[in-house]
Amino acid sequence: MSTVVTPRQPSVVIAPALSTRLMPYALLAPAFLVTLFIVFFPMAQAIYTSFFDLILWKPNASRFVGFGNYIKLFNDPVFWTALGHTAVWIGLTVPLQMGLGLITALLLNREFPWRGLARALIIIPWALPSVVIALMWRWIYDPNTGVLNDILLHLSIIQTAVPWLADPDLALYAIIATLTWQGFPFFAVMILAGLQGIPRSQYEAASIDGASAWRQFRHITLPGIAPVLGTAGLLRVIWVANSMDVIFVMTGGGPGYATHTLPLYAFVRARQNLDFGYGTAIAVTFTLLLGVVVAVYLMRTMREVER
Amino acid sequence: MSYFKKLTMGVAIGAMLAAGAAQAETVRFWYHFDNPENPMADLVAKFETANPGITIEAENVPWNSYYDTLYTSLVGGNAPDAAMVKLFAQPRLVEMGALEPIGERIDAWPAKADLLDNLLELNKAQDGQHYYLPIQYVALYLYYRADLFEQAGLKPPATCDEFRDAAIKLTKAPDTYGFGLRGGKGGWDQWGAFVLSQGAELKPGGLTSDKAVAANQWLIDLFQKDKVIPPSAPNDGFQEITGAFKSGKTAMTIHHIGSSNDMVKALGDKVSAVPVPECGGGHWTSYGDESLAVFSASEAKDAAWKWISFLAEGENNVAFNKATGQMTVTQSGAANWKLHERRFVDATVNSLPFAKVLPQNTATSEFVNTAWQINMQQALTGQITSKQMMEQLEGLFAQ
Repeated sequence: MSTVVTPRQPSVVIAPALSTRLMPYALLAPAFLVTLFIVFFPMAQAIYTSFFDLILWKPNASRFVGFGNYIKLFNDPVFWTALGHTAVWIGLTVPLQMGLGLITALLLNREFPWRGLARALIIIPWALPSVVIALMWRWIYDPNTGVLNDILLHLSIIQTAVPWLADPDLALYAIIATLTWQGFPFFAVMILAGLQGIPRSQYEAASIDGASAWRQFRHITLPGIAPVLGTAGLLRVIWVANSMDVIFVMTGGGPGYATHTLPLYAFVRARQNLDFGYGTAIAVTFTLLLGVVVAVYLMRTMREVER
Repeated sequence: MSYFKKLTMGVAIGAMLAAGAAQAETVRFWYHFDNPENPMADLVAKFETANPGITIEAENVPWNSYYDTLYTSLVGGNAPDAAMVKLFAQPRLVEMGALEPIGERIDAWPAKADLLDNLLELNKAQDGQHYYLPIQYVALYLYYRADLFEQAGLKPPATCDEFRDAAIKLTKAPDTYGFGLRGGKGGWDQWGAFVLSQGAELKPGGLTSDKAVAANQWLIDLFQKDKVIPPSAPNDGFQEITGAFKSGKTAMTIHHIGSSNDMVKALGDKVSAVPVPECGGGHWTSYGDESLAVFSASEAKDAAWKWISFLAEGENNVAFNKATGQMTVTQSGAANWKLHERRFVDATVNSLPFAKVLPQNTATSEFVNTAWQINMQQALTGQITSKQMMEQLEGLFAQ
């Protein structure tokens, strides 16, 4: 007979020293404090400011108006115009960037000479500062001296120069085209990384089974890059929604209100009209709307962390 | 010991000098120059040599956001000690309590007598105080292509009717247009020549009179019906209108002497200038002022005053205007003016009798900064009528 000796569990667990337990918090504290100070504190202050009638050059006339700014906001036709433009702005820019990025990534994933160079060059629009891009495209679109009209006139596609940024029906779409050009490399690079993570063997197996190129794309490629598309798409929605620098430089929101999006409207009210109460009310409202998208993104990220 | 004595004395003197240097005042100064090669560094060096103990930190703040940045920094408590300022901003700055009265300093200033007549009076605030020291001025006039006018057998227009007639004759769309209108930011001063000349005024009831609405409609018609203005006009700013004129796309435009050297560089003798046309019996052009002010929150007011008055004196003012391309405010500087071709100086001087500034009131800032542009663009593109535009604008002044 033999006795199985089970190792005895120690009955008392010695707690790690207090300093060890506090260590993670101490390490996180600087980042937490900085975030608190530069993100949450201004956010709280913005909400607070939005309850006041605060015009910066009338510092003595400031007074508490409760939800007054919000009531004014919902009765403001410019707010609804800007909200509509914001929806078009996000709804077109992100899918276009994603589509163009996907095509680019598929092309760059093939074997061809100078592929490394092509991959490096494709990043240029993404690496340029927004203001430079906006100024560059402003001149490209210029009806008097711009190159776009020149090319279209030479090809006889149009008969007279089109005022791309001065026509209220075209201006927003012209800027969307600019932002699509600027943002697609981000998708291309992300998707390319996703594509390279799909094992070759899956494609080999599929082609042995006689799957066509389209079926391979639908059943191997797309599922392979779906997580990347989801995360990058959500991130991009948040960035595009907030981005107003390109619009501001290209048209300043005009002609009239034709290219006003909500962040731009908030900026114009707060910074150019110095109406901080109303400006922050717009910003807070927009933050709440965008909060839905942010919540979806956070849920996704959490799930991935838990996995 | 004498050696030690000397040493301690040396140390003491050294410490005193260091303390003196630490007390040296710094004047933060904001300005805006379009010209990339600006000689501010030379002026600063000259001033600092003449005034040891004062350091000037001069910062070129981009024009497009100049006032936004200035107002927010004033409220934020991070304003400069002195800055370049325009008259339209004075009511707001006064209301904010941001300006330091400098009337007494101006009276005691030896170079006061050298300032051009009437400038100080023009710069006086509504409360009767002096806050602004003039530094340069311009008046808007009409640039025209002398060669194109001659080919078409036309004379430079003196009235709005002649102006429209010439614009129609010189338009060969889409290659050339009669007039380059600035429909984007800052274009109110062109608009004023056509609308404020005809009795429209920035005050309650001043913009919605039939005559004012009709004058505004006339300008809109130049764009919509006569099509003598390039289709890009609603979005055009300074770069676009001067660019189009220099490239021969437009035959006339309205700007001031600040762009004349550039225009001559591109077009030579083919460009000339006359005062803006007289419209409906009235004559109005924008007096483009620029002054310097000291801010009340400054801790170095004396030094700041020394610096701004230095810039307004004879040859320093000429050097300053060399950079901005505008006109000196001093009599001694004007007597021997060589920075611009004579014809542009004449057009400026001939415009002075009817050159005006916008009314000094707090709504004017909003009119200039955003409201005019948004409404003009909507009217030009047919989203609102002339009357609606004028009602919207008048709403600003009703409060």
